[in-house]
Amino acid sequence: MANTETALKDAMNSIDGALGVALVDYGSGMALGTLGGSASLDLNVAAAANTDVVRAKLRAMEMLNLQDSIEDILITLGTQYHLIRLLTGRGGNGLFLYLVLDSKRANLAMARHQLRRIESELEV
Amino acid sequence: MTAVVTGGAVVTATLDRLVRERATGALHGRAGALYLADGALVHAESPVVPDVGWRLTASGRLSRESWEEAVTEGGPDHRAGSLLVERGRLSRGELELCHLSALFDAAYFVLSPLDGSQRAPDRFLRGARHWFGPVRPVPVAAVRREVRRRRGLLERAWPCPELDVSPVVPVPAPAPAPRAVRRSPSGAVLAAADGVRTPTQIAGALGRSAFATLLDVRRLAAAGLVRTPAPGTPPPRRARPAAPAARVPADAPEIFLLQRIRDALEAL
Repeated sequence: MANTETALKDAMNSIDGALGVALVDYGSGMALGTLGGSASLDLNVAAAANTDVVRAKLRAMEMLNLQDSIEDILITLGTQYHLIRLLTGRGGNGLFLYLVLDSKRANLAMARHQLRRIESELEV
Repeated sequence: MTAVVTGGAVVTATLDRLVRERATGALHGRAGALYLADGALVHAESPVVPDVGWRLTASGRLSRESWEEAVTEGGPDHRAGSLLVERGRLSRGELELCHLSALFDAAYFVLSPLDGSQRAPDRFLRGARHWFGPVRPVPVAAVRREVRRRRGLLERAWPCPELDVSPVVPVPAPAPAPRAVRRSPSGAVLAAADGVRTPTQIAGALGRSAFATLLDVRRLAAAGLVRTPAPGTPPPRRARPAAPAARVPADAPEIFLLQRIRDALEAL
């Protein structure tokens, strides 16, 4: 029964190597909440830009006629992981969690597991 | 266009003053209403935007009964939203996210009306509070920034404002269309395009964000999947979407009713 602020704090505190997290409405590309980030990591800009990533993947799946849904999207950079988790809750249509991790400190499997838990706690 | 710009300047000046005064009340006009508490935006509504209740019930997240129960019991004390959380119908997070999405969606159409003849809100009902109750107040400056960003998004997607107010006409596919899965939001919009409904009417029917639907329609037009109307095409007379207004509790301050009364008095 967390609120959005506690969910974001939870993500920053419980996930090793977390550099920033945002909850994004992908209809508009607007971040409904952000935590962390830095001068070199503007989470609002990242939120809007990654909306295009999600949309492109959904379109690709449509073209392939895949009867499936996206659970998460992982982007591996030289020094960071970017993890996008689409919220599947019945009321969470059109939202995703966006997590930036320092790849040296992060445990990817744990991070994915924690994001799944945080998503479930956002719901009843 | 000049009228829109002038209206925008007036509403900007009024909003600035209300923020400085840390005012509480509703700034309202034909394009909708912005509810402020202590100078921050706590609620917004527009006749062309599906409200929180419609979003939650159209998606199947809440039953119509749960929603009406919260409105009837919580509305008179301005706490319908909190009641949904207390009764265990929604988590606090879901309430916040759904309410914020609806707030920014409505604020866009209040501050950037689709129809140039709609006046920007110019009347302030001091002390008015919304029956939904405050959820997460948003600074007015952040809302303005977001409205500007959204205008830019539409412009960049396909610079044709006529699309926003015209019926969405799908372009017939040259080859037999593949049985698309329509998983993406724009797929759902395209499937709902019947050549009659405008983007905001489609948003109303689907219970989804009106702005996101405008953006999807612009992108569909850019991709050649929806017909682009000729520049300067006069918008057809727009019927108000059948959705939200009806779910307002009987004893809640009803802005649109007050407006109609005011207009009738002025016409005397």
